[in-house]
Amino acid sequence: MQFGIFSVGDVTPDPVTGRTPSEHERIESMVQLALLAEQVGLDVFATGEHHNPPFVPSSPTTMLGFIAARTERIILSTATTLITTNDPVKIAEDYAMLQHLAGGRVDLMLGRGNTGPVYPWFGQDIRNGIQLTIEHYDLLHRLWREDVVDWQGRFRTPLTGFTATPRPLDGVPPFVWHGSISSPQIPEQAAFYGDGFFHNNIFWPRSHTQRMVELYRRRFEHYGHGPADQAIVGLGGQVFMRADSQAAVREFRPYFDHAPVYGGGPSLEDYAEQTPLTVGSPQQVIDRTLTFREYVGDYQRQLFLVDHAGLPQRVVLEQLEMLGTLVVPVLREEFAKLRKPGVPDAPTHVSLVAAAAASAAAEPRVTDAPSTSDPRITDAATDPAAAA
Amino acid sequence: MSERRLAVISAGLSQPSSTRLLADRLTAAAVAALGERGISASVTVMEARDHARDLVDHLLTGFPGPRLSAAIDTMTHADGLIAVSPIFNGSYSGLFKTFVDVLEVGALRGTPVLLGATGGSARHSLALDHALRPLFAYLHAAVVSTGVFAATDDWGDPQEASRLARRIDRAGQELAEAMALRPARGGPEPADGLDEVVPFSRLLAGDAD
Repeated sequence: MQFGIFSVGDVTPDPVTGRTPSEHERIESMVQLALLAEQVGLDVFATGEHHNPPFVPSSPTTMLGFIAARTERIILSTATTLITTNDPVKIAEDYAMLQHLAGGRVDLMLGRGNTGPVYPWFGQDIRNGIQLTIEHYDLLHRLWREDVVDWQGRFRTPLTGFTATPRPLDGVPPFVWHGSISSPQIPEQAAFYGDGFFHNNIFWPRSHTQRMVELYRRRFEHYGHGPADQAIVGLGGQVFMRADSQAAVREFRPYFDHAPVYGGGPSLEDYAEQTPLTVGSPQQVIDRTLTFREYVGDYQRQLFLVDHAGLPQRVVLEQLEMLGTLVVPVLREEFAKLRKPGVPDAPTHVSLVAAAAASAAAEPRVTDAPSTSDPRITDAATDPAAAA
Repeated sequence: MSERRLAVISAGLSQPSSTRLLADRLTAAAVAALGERGISASVTVMEARDHARDLVDHLLTGFPGPRLSAAIDTMTHADGLIAVSPIFNGSYSGLFKTFVDVLEVGALRGTPVLLGATGGSARHSLALDHALRPLFAYLHAAVVSTGVFAATDDWGDPQEASRLARRIDRAGQELAEAMALRPARGGPEPADGLDEVVPFSRLLAGDAD
């Protein structure tokens, strides 16, 4: 199982000191977090992508490329890459380039973005959010898998004889997670392609996360990618820790009460009860995180949000340190004990290269004729709703 | 004897309130009128006040807490709804509107609704038709033609009180009639759309909804 952190990249005033970091400080803080994440033994660092203040990470591959050069092992990912407002051609190229530079330590999480005004800045319209997500990803998927693409769609100029360069490292595209909090079309999309599904899990009650993941698992099996309990699931989580749990609550409360996302709303206690937010001792974080598999099944990736709501960098680094030394080692062991046999790990570049080699050896290609195992065709033929 | 579920939302602020009093009278009239039609009613009365904090929390966090979630389910799955608000500054109260704002699109589509309102004097009575009725028309609810406004005088003056009683009875009859014409709804099912999947082949063909 993979453990990591994901950062929104918000510049938020510290409600306790009133101090607001500069954009430059915040960018350097994010890089520092990624480097420490590797040092303390985490597996994944994921950055958000935003194109409006108060957020800094507008250019994820620039940041991740810089981190790649200064790390050895950690997987670099996104949370999320905007599949709606980015040109899929540019995503194909940027992330293939990053994949080469990072030696394959790259995957992506795709999301729509829910800020209406951002869309027209990139020539799009939020009302087409789902359609953009479907069309753009279908093109991205092809650009990474077909050397020459002829394509025509609704939202982008047509492509004729186009080759996205560089080609993916070792001919294997980066693994893709599809993130969505509440739109059922996204787990359906993830299931169709056999990609991963990530639920942010931190802004909504458990019951909802459970239903979204169940939908993905059911459809993953429907599309023939394997049994539902072997689908690839990632979850978010949100923690604040101190050795003494009351100290954690005391210290975190002003940040919670003023946080842009839930400030002014429910009490810290109510919110922690209704969502996976855990504020307490490292042992409480361990116990709470282990309960996640009780409602989503065995899953492959757990990302924590630690740097937000104006928490000072010193505190965030302490959180990361505790996560790496006190929490994750225990979680690794405990999750491994609980995991049902046959549940796969999250795909990595190495595992995908091995899988590609194995399937090439198992099925020697005889012809270039269109494959009849295209799940789209199967689905239309067997699913009455699809044929309607 | 068949059964229908009747949900009642009262947005009065004091306890007891004249708004709740009106809601109870309307409920009794509707239950009696349903009984005349051989229909037993299972009634759930909700006070907006009891959900005031949860309503604001929902606006800010984007999801309802467990108690509010149950209240929303009750409204969404009712066979009929009685909604009563005090009139503040010419319209329904903010708390009443907040309850409506957290309903999913289509939650009250086709649901027979009886509207009621209270105010200090009869001069506020048009708010019922200028504010509440358009709001529920927007929600595609099936609002019955009689709405009942009760001013302070209507409770005290014997003549007015008997006129109010007649309006309440007529409104109860209209709601019962509308509810009796529709089949009873099934048990509450999650309304988040996660049970009906649009197959990906259709999404890919441009059918996003």
